[in-house]
Amino acid sequence: MTRSLKTLLSLLAVLGLVAAACGSDDDAGGGDTKAAFVMVAPVGDAGWNFMHDQGRQAAEAATGVETAFVEAIPEGGAEFDDAVQQFIDDGYNVIFTTSFGYMDATEAFAADNPDVVFEHISGYKMNDTNFGNTFGRMYQPRYIAGMAAGAATESNKIGYVAAFPFPEVIRGINAFTLGVRRVNPDAEVEVAWTATWFDPTVEGNAAQALLDAGADVLTMHQDSTATGQAATDAGATFVGYHSDMSSQVGNYLTAPVWNWTDRYTDVINAAKDGTYTPESWWGGMADGVVDIEIPSESPVAAEMQQVKDQIIAGEFDVFEGEILAQDGSVMVAAGEKLDDGAMLGMTTFVEGVIGSAEG
Amino acid sequence: MIGLTLQRREQPLPGGQVRAVLAGAFIALLAGAVLLLLSGSNPVDVYLRMADAAFGSERAWSNTLSRAVPLGLAGLAVAVAGSMGLWNIGAEGQIIAGAIGGAWVARVLPDADGVILIPAMLIGAVIGGGLLAVIPAVLRAQLGVNEIITTLMLNEVILRVVRYLVNGIWKDPGGSGFPQAPLLPDQSALPGLFGRANIGLLIAAAVLIGFGYFASRSKWGYELRLAGSSEKTAEYAGISLRTKIMTVLTLSGAIAGLAGGIELTGSSSRLVEGVANGWGFAGIIVAALALMRPSGVALVAVFFGAVQVGGLAIQVSGVSASIANILQAMILFGALAAGVFTEYKLVRSSRSPRAAVAA
Repeated sequence: MTRSLKTLLSLLAVLGLVAAACGSDDDAGGGDTKAAFVMVAPVGDAGWNFMHDQGRQAAEAATGVETAFVEAIPEGGAEFDDAVQQFIDDGYNVIFTTSFGYMDATEAFAADNPDVVFEHISGYKMNDTNFGNTFGRMYQPRYIAGMAAGAATESNKIGYVAAFPFPEVIRGINAFTLGVRRVNPDAEVEVAWTATWFDPTVEGNAAQALLDAGADVLTMHQDSTATGQAATDAGATFVGYHSDMSSQVGNYLTAPVWNWTDRYTDVINAAKDGTYTPESWWGGMADGVVDIEIPSESPVAAEMQQVKDQIIAGEFDVFEGEILAQDGSVMVAAGEKLDDGAMLGMTTFVEGVIGSAEG
Repeated sequence: MIGLTLQRREQPLPGGQVRAVLAGAFIALLAGAVLLLLSGSNPVDVYLRMADAAFGSERAWSNTLSRAVPLGLAGLAVAVAGSMGLWNIGAEGQIIAGAIGGAWVARVLPDADGVILIPAMLIGAVIGGGLLAVIPAVLRAQLGVNEIITTLMLNEVILRVVRYLVNGIWKDPGGSGFPQAPLLPDQSALPGLFGRANIGLLIAAAVLIGFGYFASRSKWGYELRLAGSSEKTAEYAGISLRTKIMTVLTLSGAIAGLAGGIELTGSSSRLVEGVANGWGFAGIIVAALALMRPSGVALVAVFFGAVQVGGLAIQVSGVSASIANILQAMILFGALAAGVFTEYKLVRSSRSPRAAVAA
């Protein structure tokens, strides 16, 4: 063993020397701006990471800045640190980390690399110089999607396949339910938790359980299209999420969607010009980061368009009282609006949701 | 009709496993070159990049060695059980249990000095991992329940436990409703060594070398191998199999738990669901490559760590995640498969065994 040990050690050492001699020719990057993206799951053809990659490509076209990405990087692991460090070593000086669980590690990298701009998506931390966060008010188009679903259901039961009991997910369920009951006060939204972001089998089973319970419209907060498949197979209507899924799923009605292009373009340009200032940026439909297409076949299409216009004009708030909680108590009093802090920390359901907000 | 069969060599090839691993990896690199060419990358560039990222600089070494720490400890955990013919498929869960144990200590002693807190957390981790392994140990020793099944299934159980803790009773009260455990105290971070490596590297090295020596030189280690090769002989020699099974499986879990403790204090800022990050399952491959010999685990872990670091680095430079993952899997598979040929050789055989004897 000792002899083979020495053999291997010396081989490794030689390999190291060779590599050191051959590599490191690309270190002198100069002052060019290059943007990198770290994604938690494969980019795929629909879903959260797909939309970030669409935004990346469009921002690259808009800014002329070179971009790169890595996908399927777990949260809280060594891969994230290695990938970000590698990007920094390769001269990338704007780094977008697009999953909530990257927050702490991004914060640490920002402190150690003051010359690199870090923008974290869907978290709440920032610093004063080079680390900000970005998110979108998805609850706005969710509300409008809920209106379409509320008008479409005949059984008055809508199924909602949801990932984890995060405030973000709960906020979406609540906004959707408020939209449903605006046009159909008798309808209810039943939630099935999957404890996964992307697992088509689990999500498909959850969707089937909701269909079996009588739902005739399904929607979801997941990264796969499994819910849409289950709805289509059962002849139910599907309201999507993330991206336009009309080409992948039959019986598709509409979907609240992400559009990161403008935000990414702005951050990259600011970093390029040296004008980047960190903020907790929470954009809405007025900023274009979230959107929804109004399905013309919906009987409430005109009302949906009207609400959309009002939200963009700042004349309508989704979480404006009076709103009752699931247990019938008052969640938002008449005439009041929830502030951002209350919305970001939302952990209870509104009236009309069936299921537990604890997961 | 002539075919090929595997025949055991009278003498294993000299230099054996190390040579086989390198040869297998080399063949895999050749096959991978075809894959890379087909996907439009220059294999030479890609491989140089992998080697550079894994061994090309001090930081590269620190990345590789940082990964070798959990890989080595998980591999040792599996190999310790494996040298007695037991399969611990539960290192993944035992790593989580170790992290939970460490995090619990940090909750109890939040204000303790680092000098006290870090060792206490690591001891908590060892106990946590060991405790989880006691269950399959008792079941196997007393009732003969297959430890493969029990250790495997406990992975799922402990995953639910950590999810419950992080989303429930250990949820960070200052995390605005986000399901995450509170940040660990600052002084619980393992001191750094060089680059990204911390003193977890020294701890793991001490455990690996110490244990490798102990297992190959002590009576205890001899009895272990004896029990692994023939239970009857071991019993005849007066070795209590039940005691051995109990101690070995518990020890195996404790070592995996230590890996969880080092991950928690070394590279994590809080307890997260994904703390085990697949290290425990990778440990099975590490142990298999080391032929279940504790003394071989350290080298294999460095090799495995290098493959992982290199695989990620080429993803950063534009090779798709799927290709990078296939390449990593091919290298490991090649190394594993080549190991067979140290003890077996391919011989031509005619179809009838009798004819072979006659020849």
